[in-house]
Amino acid sequence: MEILAQLIVSGIALGMIYAVIAFGYQLTFATSSTLNFGQGEALMLGALVGLTLVGYMNYWLMIPLVLIFGALQGVFVERVGVLPALKTKSEFGWIMTTISLAIIFKNVAENIWGRDDLTFPSPLPTSPLQFFGIRVLPMEILVVFGALAIMLAVEIFNRKSIYGKAVVATSNDRDAAGLMGINTGMVITFSYALSSMTAAFAGVLVAPLTLTGATMGVVLGLKAFAVAIIGGLNSGMGVIVGGLLLGIAETTTGYYISTGYKDVPGLFLLLLVLAIKPAGMFGKSVIKKV
Amino acid sequence: MSWIKIISIVLAIIVAAVLPTIWPNPYYVHLMVIIGIYAILLLGLDIVVGYVGEVSLGHAALFGIGSYTAGVLHFQLAVPFLLAVPASIVVTAFFGALLALPALRVNGPYLAMVTLAFGTIIQILINEMTFLTNGPLGLSIRKPIWFGHQITGADYYYIVLFALVLTLFVVQRILKSHIGRAFEALHDSPIATDCMGVSVYGYKVYAFVLSAGIAGLAGSLFTYSEEYISPNTYNFELTILFLLAVIMGGRKTRIGPMLGAIIIVMLPNVLSDIELFRTIATGIAVFTVAYAVYAVATKQGTVRQMLLPLLVTLVLAASGYFMENITEHRLTIFGVMILFVVYYLPNGIMGFLRSIVLKYRPQWIHRHEIVSEQGDDAHVWSVPDHPVNASGYLLEAKNILMQFGGLKALNEVNLQVSKGTVHGLIGPNGSGKSTMMNVLTGIYKPTAGKIEFNRKNITGATPSSIAAAGIARTFQNVQLFGEMTAIENVLVGLHHTYRHSLLDVVFHTPRCRREKNAARMRAASLLYFVGLSELANEEARNLPYGKQRLLEIARALALNPSLLLLDEPAAGLTAPDIKELIAMINKIREHGLTVILIEHHMDVVMSICDTVTVLDFGQKIAEGTPAEVQSDEKVIEAYLGGSVEAA
Repeated sequence: MEILAQLIVSGIALGMIYAVIAFGYQLTFATSSTLNFGQGEALMLGALVGLTLVGYMNYWLMIPLVLIFGALQGVFVERVGVLPALKTKSEFGWIMTTISLAIIFKNVAENIWGRDDLTFPSPLPTSPLQFFGIRVLPMEILVVFGALAIMLAVEIFNRKSIYGKAVVATSNDRDAAGLMGINTGMVITFSYALSSMTAAFAGVLVAPLTLTGATMGVVLGLKAFAVAIIGGLNSGMGVIVGGLLLGIAETTTGYYISTGYKDVPGLFLLLLVLAIKPAGMFGKSVIKKV
Repeated sequence: MSWIKIISIVLAIIVAAVLPTIWPNPYYVHLMVIIGIYAILLLGLDIVVGYVGEVSLGHAALFGIGSYTAGVLHFQLAVPFLLAVPASIVVTAFFGALLALPALRVNGPYLAMVTLAFGTIIQILINEMTFLTNGPLGLSIRKPIWFGHQITGADYYYIVLFALVLTLFVVQRILKSHIGRAFEALHDSPIATDCMGVSVYGYKVYAFVLSAGIAGLAGSLFTYSEEYISPNTYNFELTILFLLAVIMGGRKTRIGPMLGAIIIVMLPNVLSDIELFRTIATGIAVFTVAYAVYAVATKQGTVRQMLLPLLVTLVLAASGYFMENITEHRLTIFGVMILFVVYYLPNGIMGFLRSIVLKYRPQWIHRHEIVSEQGDDAHVWSVPDHPVNASGYLLEAKNILMQFGGLKALNEVNLQVSKGTVHGLIGPNGSGKSTMMNVLTGIYKPTAGKIEFNRKNITGATPSSIAAAGIARTFQNVQLFGEMTAIENVLVGLHHTYRHSLLDVVFHTPRCRREKNAARMRAASLLYFVGLSELANEEARNLPYGKQRLLEIARALALNPSLLLLDEPAAGLTAPDIKELIAMINKIREHGLTVILIEHHMDVVMSICDTVTVLDFGQKIAEGTPAEVQSDEKVIEAYLGGSVEAA
């Protein structure tokens, strides 16, 4: 029983990271019905840039700089990869360009930071805290709260500020928002900046817990896909539940079956959700007007 | 097929067959074998990417499943080659179905996401399931021994060549058949395809499974070619290479995948040789500069347009001289190549060549098969597939409620349509007429209520099954297959008359030919009926608006419906055209069809409708003969916006 509780606690921290990345997918999907297939790479770049920066400053000072870097990286992806494909209304186009940007980022990172995994110095004590016999790393607590904080911050921004209103308007109806004088192109660029920013933030959050390296983003980005689909591409609540579900499923599979199989339940869950409720557990199915 | 084509195909096969005697070096022969195997896979991938327009990021994994099926069968059970290969095809197709069935239920990038995840999982599974796959150590397999003769690398080349020619033949036959036409139709207008009784979902899954089966064939051939397989071969990089090959070679062509296969097999060789890379990169840069100067000088492009490709190619060429080792950067180069192809060569090399030919020798390009059948009166009508039950209403909709959020687009509407009548459905804009159409044809699922058609409950059924049951429709905003000719559009409507199987298609059996000829005759006659015989081989998007509406009627009639739903057929028609339309609807009724007509031209409605139902704000406000409705106070109020007294 204690082991199970321990696994659940570790699963929660992992799940929240998935939720933040999946949240990033939702941000861009809402405004432009596109996803950045290099979301995992945005996370990886955030973590590696953060790692370089902590050589010169402390962890907390580094975070705002990484956020800025993430936002700029998102703008780059949108301008180079997504905008031209949106103009030609080609789904194939943006999928291919975001993938190719992703492999370019990964390759460049490999050539800058090397192929080996690096350790990220933890800003918090590395000795676990004990709660009822369950060991929790302080960093894990930071991950959970940091993840919730950034999602909350973006949500509040979207709901309360006039810029947020533009984002919501664009996600409801891009054409109508454009006719009302909203620069929808700007809004889409902005959503990409926000999306990559959250991913970069997730990168510096997760890096002290795992190893940092050019390949760290691939699997995380992939799992977050599963989470986004399981929770629903348009449900904020869905990604948190989906993330937790997947995180816990993974840690328990890893312990009870084999660590080699820990990535398998994610896909299984994904196919199951698509087969039963394609819009995701919390997603609303959209009725296409003719 | 023209004789030039046949001769060039035979010549190409002969050249391919003598190549190993020109280059007997085993290394070259092996490269050619790999090109052949990749070309097989890419022919299949093109069905998904080119024809159906979905992105699969799982083809490396499917290739791996094919490989490992053959490998495991050979290694664990000593199954012979000729049995292992078909088994690989079946197993891989099964996995394809497993992926496609859930992933294609929804529109959007789901297939790409699911196949990407699938690719990772398959690699993990191959690594972990050591008892079956020998894990990371890999499997060793020998080429088969036939009649006491050990097949050599050179012999194997001919086996692969045979498989390639066979795949080409089969894929070509399928894509030129009604199945291929369904693929193109669903890519063009999914909604119209569903409403023609051709299930978009079903055919997307069909395409993916077909493609997976072909990937399985390629995979099993790969196993015997390499004689050693290990999990790391089937990684994400291979998937990216496959996609690069398909789009670079040219989608929706047979030669494109082969060109693509040559490129991706040669590419690693180019990149491993830094000198060769420098030469090629410099060559490309020189060409781009020359082209940019030419384009700007002849005003075909602006300096701004040319800037980015110029910059990229120059950086690429320059970087060649700075880098010591290019393999480290090969993924970046693949990425840049994909970006370049997506933006500057969207139709691939074949598409580029075709556009050049089209500019100078347009008569060389035949984009569509010319159908020369001439239609006549005798072939317009056919026996309905579903005989109409004699008594009662043909269509009965009870208490239909259709809610979009808080808005009730249809509020407890009842509609009864008698057999053999023309039933008008009128009302001001936004009254719910088109919503009713969409509910009846299954595009919207009603929030509450029940629809019975021909004594069967069809509430909540899919659009394609409702269409197959005998309800055909036209669309208010025209939904034709724009890139198909007029007659091909009608042939999609006749899809249900093709009863023959995939095997009939491949072998071109008499049954297949008979059905094909009958369908063409019928399609030509339907065009004749709506007066479009002259335009049969014209692309639908080039037709004037009014003719497009008529073509939609012909396409709908092709379905052999017992109920025809016409959504504003007179919109965009001139006065003499409208007269013809009225005559046409009368003829349709004479042949026993029931018609529901949405129309704003009141003279049309009043002259041909037997019954008219009036909707306003989602509610039925009047029903009766045209004369009754015309004098109804509520109707006048709804249309003129005031009471009769006030006016």
